[in-house]
Amino acid sequence: MFGKLYNWIDSRTGVQESLEEALYENIPGGAKWRYVSGSMLVFAFMTQAITGIFLWMNYSAGSQNAWASVYYITYNMEGGALLRGIHHVMAQAMVCLLPIHILQVVIEKAYVKPREFNWWLGLVLMKITLALGLTGYLLPWDQKGYWATKVATELAALPPVVGGYIQKIVVGGNEYGHFTLTRFFALHAGVLPGLLVGFLVLHLAMFRKHGITAHSSDKRPDQMFWPMQVLKDGVACALLFGLVIFVAIVHPAELGPPAEPTEPYGAARPEWYFLFLFQMLKYFDGSMGWNNEFVGAIVFPGLLFGFMFLMPFIARIRIGHALNVLMIALVVGGAGYLTWEAIQEDNYNINNPDDTDSAAYKKAAKFHAEVARADTEFRLIDELVKDFGIPLEGPLSLQQKDPYTMGVRLFRRQCASCHAYNATGENAHLAIQGPVISAEAEGPMGAPDLYGFGSPAWIKGLLSDGENGIGSAKYFGNTSHSEGEMIAHIRDTLWAEAESEEDRKNLEVMVEEVSWALSAEARLPYLDYAGNQEKIKAGINHLNDDTLGCVGCHNYQENEFGYVFTLDNYASSEWLTTMISDPNQIYSEDWGTHNDRMPAFHSEATKLLTADEIELLVRFLRQDRTLLGTPSATVNPLVTDETQAETAEDSSGEDSIQEEAEEEAEDLS
Amino acid sequence: MSESSNLNSGESRRGFLGSFSAWMAALVGAVLGVGPVCVGIYSFVMDPLRDKTANRPRKSRAGGSADADGFYRVASVDEIAAETPRRFTIVADKQDAWNFIENQAVGSVYLQKDESGDISCFHTTCPHAGCSVAYEQDSNAYHCPCHNSSFKLDGSKLEVDGSTNPSPRPLDKLDIKVDDANNVYVRYVDYYTGKHDPIEK
Repeated sequence: MFGKLYNWIDSRTGVQESLEEALYENIPGGAKWRYVSGSMLVFAFMTQAITGIFLWMNYSAGSQNAWASVYYITYNMEGGALLRGIHHVMAQAMVCLLPIHILQVVIEKAYVKPREFNWWLGLVLMKITLALGLTGYLLPWDQKGYWATKVATELAALPPVVGGYIQKIVVGGNEYGHFTLTRFFALHAGVLPGLLVGFLVLHLAMFRKHGITAHSSDKRPDQMFWPMQVLKDGVACALLFGLVIFVAIVHPAELGPPAEPTEPYGAARPEWYFLFLFQMLKYFDGSMGWNNEFVGAIVFPGLLFGFMFLMPFIARIRIGHALNVLMIALVVGGAGYLTWEAIQEDNYNINNPDDTDSAAYKKAAKFHAEVARADTEFRLIDELVKDFGIPLEGPLSLQQKDPYTMGVRLFRRQCASCHAYNATGENAHLAIQGPVISAEAEGPMGAPDLYGFGSPAWIKGLLSDGENGIGSAKYFGNTSHSEGEMIAHIRDTLWAEAESEEDRKNLEVMVEEVSWALSAEARLPYLDYAGNQEKIKAGINHLNDDTLGCVGCHNYQENEFGYVFTLDNYASSEWLTTMISDPNQIYSEDWGTHNDRMPAFHSEATKLLTADEIELLVRFLRQDRTLLGTPSATVNPLVTDETQAETAEDSSGEDSIQEEAEEEAEDLS
Repeated sequence: MSESSNLNSGESRRGFLGSFSAWMAALVGAVLGVGPVCVGIYSFVMDPLRDKTANRPRKSRAGGSADADGFYRVASVDEIAAETPRRFTIVADKQDAWNFIENQAVGSVYLQKDESGDISCFHTTCPHAGCSVAYEQDSNAYHCPCHNSSFKLDGSKLEVDGSTNPSPRPLDKLDIKVDDANNVYVRYVDYYTGKHDPIEK
């Protein structure tokens, strides 16, 4: 039955003849494991084409959509992580197989006459494969791909005269944008795979025309391609596929935070297989006149490629083949060494933990800090996407409203030259390093650590003596207030006079209570004020009775005789907004210890930050992650006797607080 | 070959391009093969080279653009710190392909004041390969995170021991002007990287 059907088909299509032609290729010396590399490359490409088409079904090129669609593929789509993982890992496997295949061809002398054209076709295929890797790196439109690819397209402008035009054509204009993505995507998914298929067909046709290079031997008989070599190729490809799936599951393809053109990524590196080119650029520094960047990025690699092109001709001279083998070994070895060196440079701080003062250490430490920052930014956008989804305007519009993402960025840019933000515990990913202050530095060089500002713990530290107290780097240690009245009072009066163990314990309790009372002024959204009513009330009494000597200088509630800023609303969002906008509205000129070096960020004269940016910073410092444009987190009610009575009588008490908060938010925006 | 005897015998003897109709067929074939590609390549190559300001909406209400000489308002004199360079963002309307976006951050510059109060402005893009340089306080210099280029505060190249500095030129200095109301304007332009002399894009 099937035999008849097969004959019917064969008589009309000639399928039998085609199959025979394809499968009955003679292999002199028989099937060998070492002939599998070519088939593996074809299999790898087929996998890329197929997974690529399925990725394409879910991918959208364009500045707003690219990252969002890759995020969807990676984290939401059924089987998407595996699909993208295989595409990502197989691309690298392909780049690993290329030099193996090339080395084999060179060592077995399969590039010489009459196979010159096949060698050249192979070189073209190599270039296309690398171009696929380069164009694919940009498509997720994340920080890493964006900034690394930017270097590559900058290099496109190096050739004299035409360079600028080439760059504009590749980028789709002067700047990165929609057109860069649409062009790269068309190249990656259309032009380059199309060319690759075309050249692959020619490559295989040439291969079949000339046959396998090996000679028949007496020891092992010739075999046909089918079935032994097909089996061997199949087993090798299956192993490769298994390995790729394994790696894709263990090391899923990463996605960084979305590309942000105004937030440069200081750890931009190309994909690892281009690292040797990246590293080589460092040596072409023009120090010898001829060794400029154009030579390093274009001429030198071009000459190497030209040499490879000429290898079949070089092989004709007597030591030519040996020369070719030596040259290829040098290129592969050199590329390997440069890759290793690039990785060493980036890991210098890990490998040389004691050499902290060297420039190499600092640079590597900065690299790792940038990688950690990208991880943090991704974690933050991931949380935002899970909470709010990605709006039509793209992920950046979400980030720009997020007090945490923007808080960290603005703090790093505007505050971190004086303040640190040593976040710990569940907020450790938000930590920001303050200024590096050397031991020899003279004069005030820093400012208080602002993590947890306004919380009872923070205030308690300020009111304490000792290692992490008011005189430490965490508070006034690196400011001009280190010699001021506040520190004199806390350290030299309050704690110095508490001599006995019991006195110190009592003082500690009182400081704790006052800290809670002051923190209640801040109304921080993450604190449990309701559960600490006793402490707050006791603290308010201490303040009003002036037990700790606070209201001698500060105003507080009914105490109006102080001469420095009032403690009412201390660290509240209103207070912080004023402090950042124009600190001299809080500090008074009358007192001895004035504003140290805090600049005005939004005053009549200076607008270093917009009102929105200040609002974002204020929410960040208050660990209030409500998005800009929505009311800040409902403040915890200060449950005094009065408000307690109020809330008991009138359930609308809560609403009025809500309204207050909303009004406040409106005022601020 | 056995097939050749089946062909019209007169034509096969004269060779592949031996007749007028063969030439015509080859010509038509060439036009058909190359024509569509030419049309595509024309757009692909010429559109990016075109001046894109033609695409800007005619009735935009946005004002975040440069003045006639290409200067953008960036800061006020008071916002520029006396000792350390400060990074400022250039805000302008932006045409990105089919989208027009008002008041976008389109780039950034470093502004600094020297001892005599003179203001200078540097592009944040490294002239080597286009990464962004960052001012670092502890070494009081600009450093590029990519290929080790470093620059002094005056923009000139800084040689660091044990490291190369592949930048072909100093940091790109941008023209500034200050008006009576203490506004600082910067003529913001991008330069090609990797060239010995700054060439505007």
